[in-house]
Amino acid sequence: MKNNQQQGSGAPEPAARSADGAKRNQYGKYEPYDTVGHLARIRDWHDDFESRIDSLISYLQEMASRSKQARVECSRNYSKIADLTRAKTRFTYEVSHEIKAPLAAVYNILNVVADGYLKDDREKQADLLVRARQRIREVIALLNDLLMLSLLEESTGKLKKEPLDMRGILVPVYEQMKDYAAERKVRFSWRWGDELPVLLGSPELLRRVFMNIVDNAVKYTDAGGSVEVEARKDGDTFLFRVTDTGVGIPEEELPKVFDIFFRGSKARSESKAEGMGLGLSLVKRIVDDHHGTISVSSRFGLGTTMTVRFLEYKKGGAGGEANIDSRR
Amino acid sequence: MAKRILIVDDDPEFVETTKIILESGGYETRTAANGTEAMKRLEEEKPDIILLDVMMKTIGDGVWVGQKVKGDQRFSDIPILMITAVNQESANRSFHLDPGADGDYLPVDGFLEKPVEPDVLLREVGKLVKS
Repeated sequence: MKNNQQQGSGAPEPAARSADGAKRNQYGKYEPYDTVGHLARIRDWHDDFESRIDSLISYLQEMASRSKQARVECSRNYSKIADLTRAKTRFTYEVSHEIKAPLAAVYNILNVVADGYLKDDREKQADLLVRARQRIREVIALLNDLLMLSLLEESTGKLKKEPLDMRGILVPVYEQMKDYAAERKVRFSWRWGDELPVLLGSPELLRRVFMNIVDNAVKYTDAGGSVEVEARKDGDTFLFRVTDTGVGIPEEELPKVFDIFFRGSKARSESKAEGMGLGLSLVKRIVDDHHGTISVSSRFGLGTTMTVRFLEYKKGGAGGEANIDSRR
Repeated sequence: MAKRILIVDDDPEFVETTKIILESGGYETRTAANGTEAMKRLEEEKPDIILLDVMMKTIGDGVWVGQKVKGDQRFSDIPILMITAVNQESANRSFHLDPGADGDYLPVDGFLEKPVEPDVLLREVGKLVKS
C-alpha cells in the first residue's frame, strides 16, 4: 500500500520514457500533448486509486468483523449481567424467606403464650419460649453471616491478611470442639502434624472456617460415632481434613453443599441444623478469598470427609497468593 | 364429630403453635413435615382441610402436594389453605390459582401469608371446612 502510493505520486522515469520516443521540453518535463506519458500517468493514478479502494475495502471489512465481535461480546456480557441480576433477586428473595420464616414461628409462639392458649401449662409455655429464643438466635446468626458476606464481597482481594501461626488459630477450635463432641457423646480425635506451616490470612475468618467444618461434622454425627481431625503440612500446603461417621450426604446433594441456604434433606428432617446461618457457603467464600481449596466427599449413611488446603506462606515468596490445583 | 385438619409444614415451631391454636377452636389435628409424609397421612385418614406450606426445600414441596391432592379423585374435594412465608409478589415464581396446563398453577382454595393472626387462621379455616 505504501509502495503503491509512492509510485503513484512520483513521475515516471524520464530515461525509460525517452527510449519510447516521448517528448520532453527544455526543463525535462513531459509536454501536455505527450500521450504516452499521459497514459502512463493515468495508469499510475488508476493503480493508486485501485490500491486505495482495496485498502478501504479491507479496512471496512475489518471494521465489520470487529463490530460483529463487539456485538457478540456485548450480548455475552449482557446475558452475564442478566444472570447476575437474576441471582441477586433470587438471593434477596431467599434471604427474606429465611428471615421471615423463623420470625413468623416466634410471632406464633408469642401469640400462643400471650393470648392464653396454653392456660396454666407453665411447662409448655417455657418450652416454647426457649424455642423462640433459639429461633431468634438463628436469625441473628444469619444476619451476622450476611453482613460478613457483604464485607467479603466488598473487600475481595483487599482483605487484611497477616502471617499466622496455625497452632495459635487451631487450639481454641480444638478446645471448643472437644467439649462439644463430649457433650454429644461423639468420639473425637485430633492428629497434629509435627510441623504446621505459616499461612497468610485473616485470623478470625480462618478460625471460622475450621470451626464451622468441625462443628458440622460433630453436629451430624450420632452419639457413638466418631470425628477425626487432621491438621498438618502437606508439601507446600497446609492440609485440614475432617472425617466423620455421620449421616453423610446423598450423592445428588453433594454439588449443592456450598450453595447459599442449602441444607441437606437429612439435616432438615432431623431439624438439628439450628443457628447455622449461611454455613458452608460462607466457608467456601472465605476459603476462595484465601486462594485455598475446599472439597467434600461423602457416602450417604456412612460419613463425610471435608478437606481444606491453603498454600504455605513463605517470606518474600508468593505463598498464599497463588491458586492451588491439587483439588481432591 | 370434630373436623380434622392436616397441617403440612417443615417448621416444627410453626406446626406446634398452629396445632395449639386450631385445637383451641375444637379441631382435631394431624401433622406432616414434608410432601411424602403428607401423602402418607392422607392415605391413613382423610382430613376435612389441609393447611399447606410451600416448603421449597423439601423433597415433594407444597406445590407438589397440592397438585397431587387435587389430581386424586379420593382427595380432590379436600379444601387446601396455603400458609407460607413466601410473599407472592416477591416470589420469582408467581403462582396463580386458576387451573391450567403450566407448572405454576397452585391448586389451592385459599392463601395466607405468615405470620397469621390466630383469629384470622380460625376464621379462614372455618370458612373452608364444610359444615
